[in-house]
Parts: sequence; C-alpha cells; structure tokens
Amino acid sequence: MLGKGGKRKFDEHEDGLEGKVVSPTDGPSKVSYTLQRQTIFNISLMKLYNHRPLTEPSLQKTVLINNMLRRIQEELKQEGSLRPVFVTASQPADPLSDNFREAQPAFSHLASQPLLPTDLVSTTPLESCLTPASLLEDDTFCTSPTVQHDGPTKPPPPALQPVKDSFSSALDEIEELCPAPTSAEAVAAETAADDSKDHPSESNGQKPEGLPESRTAESKLMDSLPGNFEITTSTGFLTDLTLDDILFADIDTSMYDFDPCTSATGAASKMAPVSADELLKTLAPYSSQPVTPNQPFKMDLTELDHIMEVLVGS
Amino acid sequence: FLGAGGGNDIQWCFSQVKGAVDDDVAEADIISTVEFNHSGELLATGDKGGRVVIFQQEQENKTQSHSRGEYNVYSTFQSHEPEFDYLKSLEIEEKINKIRWLPQKNAAQFLLSTNDKTIKLWKISERDKRPEGYNLKEEDGRYRDPTTVTTLRVPVFRPMDLMVEASPRRIFANAHTYHINSISINSDYETYLSADDLRINLWHLEITDRSFNIVDIKPANMEELTEVITAAEFHPNSCNTFVYSSSKGTIRLCDMRASALCDRHSKLFEEPEDPSNRSFFSEIISSISDVKFSHSGRYMMTRDYLSVKIWDLNMENRPVETYQVHEYLRSKLCSLYENDCIFDKFECCWNGSDRQVIFHRTVTFFLPPLCSIVMTGSYNNFFRMFDRNTKRDITLEASRENNKPRTVLKPRKVCASGKRKKDEISVDSLDFNKKILHTAWHPKENIIAVATTNNLYIFQDKMN
Repeated sequence: MLGKGGKRKFDEHEDGLEGKVVSPTDGPSKVSYTLQRQTIFNISLMKLYNHRPLTEPSLQKTVLINNMLRRIQEELKQEGSLRPVFVTASQPADPLSDNFREAQPAFSHLASQPLLPTDLVSTTPLESCLTPASLLEDDTFCTSPTVQHDGPTKPPPPALQPVKDSFSSALDEIEELCPAPTSAEAVAAETAADDSKDHPSESNGQKPEGLPESRTAESKLMDSLPGNFEITTSTGFLTDLTLDDILFADIDTSMYDFDPCTSATGAASKMAPVSADELLKTLAPYSSQPVTPNQPFKMDLTELDHIMEVLVGS
Repeated sequence: FLGAGGGNDIQWCFSQVKGAVDDDVAEADIISTVEFNHSGELLATGDKGGRVVIFQQEQENKTQSHSRGEYNVYSTFQSHEPEFDYLKSLEIEEKINKIRWLPQKNAAQFLLSTNDKTIKLWKISERDKRPEGYNLKEEDGRYRDPTTVTTLRVPVFRPMDLMVEASPRRIFANAHTYHINSISINSDYETYLSADDLRINLWHLEITDRSFNIVDIKPANMEELTEVITAAEFHPNSCNTFVYSSSKGTIRLCDMRASALCDRHSKLFEEPEDPSNRSFFSEIISSISDVKFSHSGRYMMTRDYLSVKIWDLNMENRPVETYQVHEYLRSKLCSLYENDCIFDKFECCWNGSDRQVIFHRTVTFFLPPLCSIVMTGSYNNFFRMFDRNTKRDITLEASRENNKPRTVLKPRKVCASGKRKKDEISVDSLDFNKKILHTAWHPKENIIAVATTNNLYIFQDKMN
C-alpha cells in the first residue's frame, strides 16, 4: 500500500504521472508537465491549509512546502511573459527525456513572437524546467486537478487528446487566416491599420481565462506567502484566502471551454481583430483608465490581472 | 574484532525483539529514538509518550558462550510530560526526540533526553542496599515513641533487591522557540549543544539558567525564510568544532573560536545538483535528516531522503562516497509527497568503533578505529547496510517472522521494475507505514538495535 489515506483515484493519477515512459508523445508531455505542476501546487496548498494540528506544525515541512509553492509561482510568472507554443501533431516525435529539452531550440525562433502567457505550455528556459519529461511523459494521464474540489469523487477522465487535437486544428485554421506576424507591434500595427478601432496590444493584454484565476491566488500568495512562521495558527499562513478560493482559483478551464471567438487564449495574437475588439469592449467598463479611441492602448499586466480578477469574481 | 570487510562479511542473526506484539500500535509506544551508551552495556529508547526505557546487557555467561548477553529492561521512567503553550494555544509534544549518553564517571549513569522544547539530564543509579536499624523509626517507617527508646544503635546497610532509580538532575528549559531536533555532547564532557530549526545553543551541563546562542539563521523578515537547521553534532575530538545540516542539503562546519556567534561557517559542504535528476522534489529530497561524524572525526556521514553520503572533512565540494538507499522511490516522489512520507527523517549510523588490534610476534599494534560499515533504515521494515571497503550492500528486514535465534537473516530485494523474481518484493507492495527511522550500532561489538514503529529488534552477528 502506498501511503496512508488510500485515495485510490489519486494513486492511479499519480501512477499516471509517474508511470514509466511508454512511448514518445507529441502533445501531452508539456501538458503533463503543467498539469503535474498544478497538481503539486494544489497538494502543497492543501497541506498548508488542511493541517490543523494540536501541536505546532513542523517548521521544516512548512518551509519546504512553501519553497515548492514559490518555485511553481516563479515558473508561472516566467511563463507569463513567454509565448505559448502548442505542440501539434506535426511536431517531431522526439522520445522520452529529450523531448522537452529538444523542443526548446525548435521554438527559439519564436522567441521574438508576441509573447502570450498561458499555463498550458511552457517555453521557460531549461534551467527552470524542474521535471524531466521522462517523468511526465504519459498519454494516459487521466485525472485533472481541476475537479478535486468536488471532493473524493472520481473525476471523469478529461479527453485531453481529443480536445488537444481539435484545439490544435482550430488553431491551425486560425493561423491560416492570419499572416504570421513577427512582433507584437506588427500585429498591432496590422490590425490597427486594418481597423480604425483601437484594441489592446494583445501580446501584453490577453491571457487565458484560467491563468488570471490562478494568478489571483498566486499573487495573493506572493504577498502573504511566508507570513506566519512565528505565530502559528492552525490554518497555516494563508489566512486571507479560503479553501474555496484556492481550489476554485486553480481551475484552468481554457482547455475545455475552447471557443475561438471569445476565449482569451494564446491564439489571441492571431485572432481576427474583431474578437480582440470585442474583448476590449468587455474590458473597458472595468478599466480604471479611460480608453481613448485613437491611442494605441497598452494595458499593464498587473492592471489586467485586476480586471480579470474582477471578471472572474463576477 | 570487527571485520575489516573483505572476507569478513557479518552474518546477522535475530537476537531479541522488545515491545507489543499486536498490530494495533498505540501512539505513545512509537519509538522515537534509540541510543547505546559508551560501553554498549546499556541501550536506551525514547518514545512518543515521553518515556525512556533502558535495557541492560546481561553479563556474558560462560554456559552461553554462543551468544552475547541479552538485553533486559533495566529502568523505565517518564522523561517528559505533555505541556501546553498558552501563548500559542498549542500543545508541546512529550515525544522524546533524542537521547545522548554521557560517559560514565562514577557508579551512576547520566543521559540527556529532549523533547521539542526542554532538555533534561537524568541520573540513573542503582540501589542494592538499604540502611536498617534506625533509632527513631520502625522498619516499616513509622516513628517510634521517643520515650520507648532506651538504647542507641548504629544503622547498618543490608542488601536489598536491586532497584534502579532515575532522577532528573538538571532541566534546561526555555531556550528554544522552535523545535529541538538535535543534542550533542562535546568531547570536553562539560558542554553540549542543542539545535532547533533556526538556532543552536551551547550549554554547560551544570548550568541551567542560561545558554549561549552560537548559531542563529533566523532572518530578520520571516517571510524570507527558506532554509532550516535539521541536525547538528560536535566533532568527536575537537571540542571547538561542530557541524550542522540544513533542509537544502548543505552542511556547515563551524569553529567556536572564530567568533561568539558562529554565523559564518568555516566550511560549507554541498554537492552540486545532478541536472539529470532534477525534479520538483529535488530540494525536499536533498534535505538532510541526520549527520554523524565517524569515530576518528575525519569523515562525516549524512542521510537525505534517498541516499547516504560520506564526506571527507577536507573536501567540501562533493562527498567521497554516495550510497543509494532506495533509489526505486525516485519515480514515486509525487505520491510520497502527497502522503507526507517524503518528510520522513531517517537516521544513519556507523559501525562500532573498536580499535583494530594487530598482534605481530611480541608487538601489539593499535590502529585507529575503523568506520567501514554504515547502516540506515528504509520502508517495509527494511534496513540497509553498506560496506565501504567491499562496496557491497545488503537489505535486511526486521520482522517477527524472522525470529529464529542464530539463524542468519535472509537478504531482501526490492524489484524496481520489470519482472519480479521469486522472493523479491515489488515497489508497489511496500508498506510505507512500516518505516525504520532509528537504528543504533553497539560501540564495540557487532550488535545492532533496529526500531520499527513500536518494536525494538536486536540483531547480533553469528558467532562461530
């Protein structure tokens, strides 16, 4: 028996994460990495929150869990400034542990592309890659951490592969519609030239729905993380967040709610200007800055955070 | 004499097991520390209920020359009681974290035992005589009517049944804000250190109302805390030198002569991370759970989650030897993180330090003590030994099914992957609730004490 608590679904899930690498995959390795990271993030938070000891919790354990959370946050933060690259079926099927690393040079030419944050795919520098893909290679990865809040019910295996494929193919379609830009400004310039209406520079502005939610939790975490080492309360140190906030905040539903027209995904930079414009209109009422029609509109990342927070909260 | 490896591999046999038989483990009976005294005659255990149980080895019986003396209960006492911290509204556990023996100076034995907050010096003394013939008291203790006393006599000592008494002689309290993880007696036998998560204090054994803080890694802003102290030990020969390990896998050697507050280490031992093994859990598994100097003081051994490392004090940038305890767990780290097993603190120990004695004609050579075997625990009630000379290792199991005295223990093998051979056990069948965290090696003989959750096993080598 592997450990106490016997949450069988989790064991299966873990076995999936950590199972032997069977065959090289193209899509799921990066997804697995992100999902595993998400899982570990959730586990870490649960540990800090659910522990209601009668005695003082171990400082060593608390510090180690805290460091884990911080590391994941740092990674997500870094990813927040990088362009997402979706691994499509056309990617070379590189085996095993080299998959993730070899993917780096393949995407390096896109480094100058508009950088859009997503927590689906990471092109973070090699040094910050914490888990060799050999541990994460798994195309049978079944459970999603996002359904954990439902309690100890076995989550239905999300159809990752099919969604991916449809997503990728939809992305491909969109790519065909727009010429490949070389910079964020080019995109903005093109779309600005094409359309007299203003819209934000998507590269800075748009993010997938899921990310801001997790960022909400994480930005709060960044503020209050190490908090109460001295005064130990039974709720750990994140006393301003409730359990629901954490669990719900981590849900990234962008994979499941794909809608090319309205979801703010990484494909945003290549979306038709009209959708970006629509987005701007939705955002405008929440913006604290007046939006003047003829000025190129650049939104601050943190400001967008705030806006997304409000959107998510409503 | 202890084997120096080579053809002298030790064959371990079951000797004794102490503790309750039933599977239902009472929380208070969980063994939390095991320690032989300097002669090996006494073996102390501490448990989660705050009790200390001391076993004494029988003197060797001529008729039983095929085995070394058995260990029987010598003394049991309640060392620490649960307390309540009113300021934080939290309980202070009575669990005994560490026991360290003082070398024997007179008839009595002394040991230090500590829980999370308080260290106590206990005196264990024998009483086998009692005075009889008082003038004012009857034998049963009742006072005599003084008017009935007509003669005087001198009381005399008469033999009585052996009684072993434990009394607390010093209580070293209120010096630790965080949880004490180590105590270590200095080679001067006058001072000792106690280490908690963030600080190390130096005490004099005679003085309880003050201690000197010699290491403080608490950051000014607790939000910046990323590293804690996990273990500390004095050098066995050099009374100004000690080491402490951290949760980031580093060991710092400090010299108390350098400054009053040893915040700056003299040496920093750290192995660079192996990039091919990097994972989310790299930091956690690098956290050192135990550090032990070799008897000569030339080497030290550290235990992290998956391995045992031997360090040469003269080489800081990497260990001289690394032994994998249960590498098959590397692919299970996420599960072990989820069920908290990844935070288990395994200890490690060296084999006994009897000097090598070589007789050559009329000359006797006394060679330095040899630390050639290291022992540490694992899961499923397995424990491991590594022979530094032969590079061989063995996995043994502490279980009541093996309790046939003088029958050599059968080596165990864990099958990491692939086809499981007969007699091998697969990783997924391991019982992670059966962990051996505490082991001890007799200082002079090949006798080992291995603690499972609530039982203490004693193994001896097969004497011919």
